[in-house]
Amino acid sequence: MTRWKTVLVWLLGVWMAVVCWAAFFYAPTARGFKGESARIVFFHVPQAWVAVVAFCVNLVASIRYLRGRDPLDDIRAASAAGLGLLFSVLATISGSLFAKIMWGSFWNWDPREISIAILLLVYAAYFALRQAVPDDERRGTLAAAYAVLAFVTMPFLVFVVPRIYWSLHPDTIINTSGRIDMESRMLQVLLGSVAGFTGLFAWLYSLSVRLARARLRRRQQEGG
Amino acid sequence: MPEPESLFWVAAVTVVIWVGIFLYCLRLERRLQRLERGQ
Amino acid sequence: MLGEALAVLAKELRSELRSRVALNAILLFALTTLVAVAYQIGPYRIHEEDRPHLLAALLWIILFFAATSGLARVFVKEEDAHTAKTLRLAARPGAVFAGKFAFNVVLLGTLELVVVPLFCVLLGYRVAGLLGLVLLLAAGTVALAAVATMVAAIISRASGSGTLFAVLTVPLALPLLVMLIQGTRAAAGSAELAAVLPALRGIVSLAGVTLVSSVFLFPVVWHD
Repeated sequence: MTRWKTVLVWLLGVWMAVVCWAAFFYAPTARGFKGESARIVFFHVPQAWVAVVAFCVNLVASIRYLRGRDPLDDIRAASAAGLGLLFSVLATISGSLFAKIMWGSFWNWDPREISIAILLLVYAAYFALRQAVPDDERRGTLAAAYAVLAFVTMPFLVFVVPRIYWSLHPDTIINTSGRIDMESRMLQVLLGSVAGFTGLFAWLYSLSVRLARARLRRRQQEGG
Repeated sequence: MPEPESLFWVAAVTVVIWVGIFLYCLRLERRLQRLERGQ
Repeated sequence: MLGEALAVLAKELRSELRSRVALNAILLFALTTLVAVAYQIGPYRIHEEDRPHLLAALLWIILFFAATSGLARVFVKEEDAHTAKTLRLAARPGAVFAGKFAFNVVLLGTLELVVVPLFCVLLGYRVAGLLGLVLLLAAGTVALAAVATMVAAIISRASGSGTLFAVLTVPLALPLLVMLIQGTRAAAGSAELAAVLPALRGIVSLAGVTLVSSVFLFPVVWHD
C-alpha cells in the first residue's frame, strides 16, 4: 500500500516537472495574445479547476456530515475548503497577472473577477463561521449548512451574472458553443496540467485530512 | 547565459517553486506516516 | 402547520410592535444613509447619462445594508432572551422558519415602502416602468428575506453573531444584489415589462432555490 503510494507520489513529481517544462517549451506561442502571456493558461486554468473541485468535495463532505455527524466528514469538509481557498487565491493571482499584461490593470471588475472575488469571500466567511463556534459538533453542523447554502447560490454567480455583463475573459474551456478552440499541442499540455494539478490536490487533500485527524486523536487522548 | 526576460527564467522559477512544494509535501507525508504508525 | 407558522408570525409582530427594536434599527439606519446620500448628491449632482446606473446601485446599497442591520434579530433575540428552547418545543421547525421568514418579509416590505418613495423624491429618481420596479422589489424582498433568515438561524448559534451576520450574508446576497441593481436600472429606463424580465427570472429562481434548500437545512441548524 505504502509502496504504491510512494510510486504514485514520485510519478506525480515527474509528471508535474514535465508539465512545467512542456508549458514553456513544447506548447507553441498562442496567437492573439501579448508575447508569451498565454502560457499562464497552463497554470491558471488547472488552479481554477482545482478550486471548483475542492468546492464540490467540500459540498459532498458537508452533506455527508449533516447525515451522519461523523467528525471525519467535518475534517474532510474543512480540509477541502482550506485547499479550495489556497487554489482560488493562486488562480486569482495568476489571472490578475495575466490581466495586467493583456488589459493593463491587475483588477478591473470583470464578471469572472467578481465571481472569483465572491468565491474567496464565501471561503473567508466559512472559516470566520468555523472560528466563531467553540463546540465541535455544532461547528460542523453550522459550517456544513452554510457550505450547502453557499453552493446553491453559486451557480447564479458563475452562470447568470457573466451572461448579464460583457466580459473580457477569454472563453472558458467549456464555452457556450460547446466546441474547443485550441491548438492541439496546447490542449495536450493543458489537459496534462489539469490532470497533474488534480493529482496534486488529491495528495494535498489526503495530507491535510490525515494531519487534522492526527490532531483530533491527540486532543481526544489528552482530554480523555 | 540566456536573456533576462526569456522564457528560460520563468520556467526555472516555476520548476524551483514546484520542487519546493513537492519536497515539503514529501516531508509531511513521511512525518504523518511515522505518526500514524506510532498511534 | 400553516396555523403554527401564523402563530409564530403573530408572536413576532406583537413583540416587534411592543419593542420596535428591529424596525427602529433598520429604518433609522436607512434614513440616516438616505439623508447623507441625498444631501451630498441631491437631484442634480449626477450627470444625466450616469443616473440610471448610479441611482439604482445607491438605492440597493441603502436598502441592503439597512436590512443587514436588523434582519438577524429574529433568531439572535431568541438566543439572547433564552427563549429558543421554548420555541423549539412549542412549534415545528418548518413553522418556525416560515413564521420568521414571513416576519422578515414584512420588515423588509415596510422598509421599502418608506425608503423607496423618499429616495425617488429626494434624488429626483424617475422610474418609467413602475410595475416592473414593484415586481422586482417584491421578488427581491422574498429572496433577501430567505437568505437573511437562514443565515440568521446559523449565526444565532455561534458567538459574536453581530458582525458575523454581515460577513456571512454579503457573499450569498451579492449575486442577488447584482441582479437587483441591473433590473432596477432596466425598470427605470423603460416602461416595458420585458426589460426587467431577465433579472426578475434570475431573482425568482434564486429565491426558490434558497427557500427549497432552507426547508432541508433549517431543521438541521435549529436542532443541532
